Amino acid sequence: MLFNSIDFAIFLPIVFILYWFVTNRSLKLQNLLLMVASYFFYACWDWRFLFLLMFSTVLDYFTGLQMQDAPNMKKKRFWFWLSVVINLGFLGVFKYYNFFAESFAELLGHFGLEVHPYTLSIVLPVGISFYTFHGLSYVIDIYKDRIRAERNFIDYALFVSFFPLLVAGPIERATHLLPQIKKPRTFDYSRAVDGMRQILWGLFKKVVIADNCATFANDIFSNSADHSGSTLVLGALFFTFQIYGDFSGYSDIALGTARLFGIELLRNFAFPYFSRDIAEFWRRWHISLSSWFRDYLYIPLGGSKGGTWMRVRNTFIIFIVSGFWHGANWTFIVWGALNAIYFLPLLLTNRNRNNMEIVAQGRLFPSLKEVWMMASTFALTVLAWIFFRAENLGHAVSYIGGIINSSLFTIPDYAALIPACVVLCLIAFFMVIEWLGREEQFALAKLGAGWKRPVRWSFYVLLVFIMGLFLKSEETPFIYFQF
Amino acid sequence: MKQFIKQSLLFAVVVVIAYPILIVLSMWLPIPQVFKPSINYKIGSYGHMYSRLQEARNIQGDVDILFLGSSHSYRGFDPRNFEPLKTFNLGSSAQTPLQTKILLDRYLDLINPKMVVYEVYPNTLGSDGVESSLDLIANDRNDWNSVKMAFEINNIKTYNTLIYGFAADLLNINKGFEEPVRHDEDTYISGGYVQRDMSYHTFEKLGKRKWKFRDEQLAKFNECLQMLKERDIETVLVFAPIAPNVYNAYTNYDTVDSLYNSYGLKYYDFNRMLDLNDSLHFYDGHHLNQDGVNIFNAKVREVLGI
Repeated sequence: MLFNSIDFAIFLPIVFILYWFVTNRSLKLQNLLLMVASYFFYACWDWRFLFLLMFSTVLDYFTGLQMQDAPNMKKKRFWFWLSVVINLGFLGVFKYYNFFAESFAELLGHFGLEVHPYTLSIVLPVGISFYTFHGLSYVIDIYKDRIRAERNFIDYALFVSFFPLLVAGPIERATHLLPQIKKPRTFDYSRAVDGMRQILWGLFKKVVIADNCATFANDIFSNSADHSGSTLVLGALFFTFQIYGDFSGYSDIALGTARLFGIELLRNFAFPYFSRDIAEFWRRWHISLSSWFRDYLYIPLGGSKGGTWMRVRNTFIIFIVSGFWHGANWTFIVWGALNAIYFLPLLLTNRNRNNMEIVAQGRLFPSLKEVWMMASTFALTVLAWIFFRAENLGHAVSYIGGIINSSLFTIPDYAALIPACVVLCLIAFFMVIEWLGREEQFALAKLGAGWKRPVRWSFYVLLVFIMGLFLKSEETPFIYFQF
Repeated sequence: MKQFIKQSLLFAVVVVIAYPILIVLSMWLPIPQVFKPSINYKIGSYGHMYSRLQEARNIQGDVDILFLGSSHSYRGFDPRNFEPLKTFNLGSSAQTPLQTKILLDRYLDLINPKMVVYEVYPNTLGSDGVESSLDLIANDRNDWNSVKMAFEINNIKTYNTLIYGFAADLLNINKGFEEPVRHDEDTYISGGYVQRDMSYHTFEKLGKRKWKFRDEQLAKFNECLQMLKERDIETVLVFAPIAPNVYNAYTNYDTVDSLYNSYGLKYYDFNRMLDLNDSLHFYDGHHLNQDGVNIFNAKVREVLGI
């Protein structure tokens, strides 16, 4: 069941009405309803993977309790490592087994040993990277005595499986979400309206921006050898907005949906394409994953304490692991490493925390310096996205090679240039709205707050109308479902 | 809470009212098509559907043979080749059973044929039916069946075009529209046939592929056949010729044969009964040129004994 489907448009109001009108007298019932709804939501993809989700939930719930009640550190450590190994084991088998088997065979091939690796023909269970990381953060926090183990199974299962975040995040923390699950929730009109606005904006990002950019990005990337440098730049730009519209659109819908149930999820995006340096970009892009790696990998590795070498090493580790988290492909690893390289000068000169506030705060227009900084950061991210999108490293290198030649300065030779320009107009409209709303949680949060209702609603109707005009015929899944 | 639900419903009502108005405005204002890719309303478009349906509404007396199906039908059965029998062709571009059923509901009693020759190009059973629905919406008056069809197809293009189609019907926007007998290289021939100016197909090599079917189209196909059976109309299923290079690119004819034979009707695959040439008898990979049509029609008469 996709967020941008008729099924979800029916599912959500039903759960909403049951939640606030039928089960509203009992928190236990509300949580049970959300858990059942979440399992139903997940089963709509493939009911067989429900067992994996259940197993992962039971494992972390049980090991959490065992750690809590462990009589000594040795036992606690045992249960901790059991949970970590099994969780990562599942992730490894489903997501990375084929990659390692094929890479190992290729390595042996370089030494003249021909090996035919046994590869698994398995489908990646949707959301496995996300719910595994939920569970891992929970057991790590218990191990580190940051939280106490949850004894109510329904509450814990809901923490792992809450349907808005189940398949593509944000990656929640027990310290943030569990207290909300355990606390009675009351309906808040302005929060619910805010949720609806965020859902509307998320749908716009997905349906209008991401899906329409995808048409051209897929076409240009698939036939990259036939295109001029300028067309390849156009393709990279389309992918840059596709992935942002797709993933931040998903996150907006997830956050907005959770708000309808009185739950606040972690913010995942904060207008990353208005960043003035790469460090700021990474504080604004996929925030829940970046902060997860910061808290559970970077800091345990020593963080920025220690010497320069350790800081550089740790930075590379989290960027590369972050890339690898996205998928079993060298392209993701290089994408992560490239971002680490971008980050390095800022780290070495202690300028990685220079741009902490919002760009051009309180002003309508940025300064020329800010424009330059945003443009150069944006260009670096576009370059890195080429690796992320390419089929393999060879493709990425040839794509970049195709850009760097005299055809870069020609008019794109793309057959569908006029429709592509229409989508560029939509992107421009989208970015203007994003710019105007950049000081808020999401672009539409306060935009038009001072407008009279007919004007504000006319604007929302216009967004719906644009969605209707540019909606793709076929339902397109979100990119991050594959991770 | 009540306030929230009230406001949400009110907003939904505003959208339901404003959206069709905006759709109509977008068609009236000189906005280039590229800015509205999900609306495609073209009256008198490719395939002379408008003229065909106009003629269907004014048919005088009973018809001997009614032809149904895709463009292979309205470009494949020339009524002149079946004289003195009275024939009519109700084919339309990429017509799937979803549209065939609507056309039968609207026109079968009016045409009252003794026999139906149903051209069953397998691809129409695997198609989403969007292209043909747009053709039907723009060129016929819309009714409840059109709404049902839109829900069955469940595609934004069909919904948007149907919204405009209703507005066009309601406001009589197409009043006075007359479709020219000639469109580019096509000429409309009375009886629903479209004749293409003589030209020849250039052969192209195609990769191997398989015919695929959709459950909803198969169900609708069954409904169409059931409707004809209930009216006691003799029905023959015909796979009209397509260029041999296209025909041979498909590999699962056993599935196709067993499907069509399962309905207990006469089924003829003329691709196997005629020795046609890719270039000489076709003007493209899917359509016979007039030489090919004449050969095909003669064979149909021979096989059906008419």
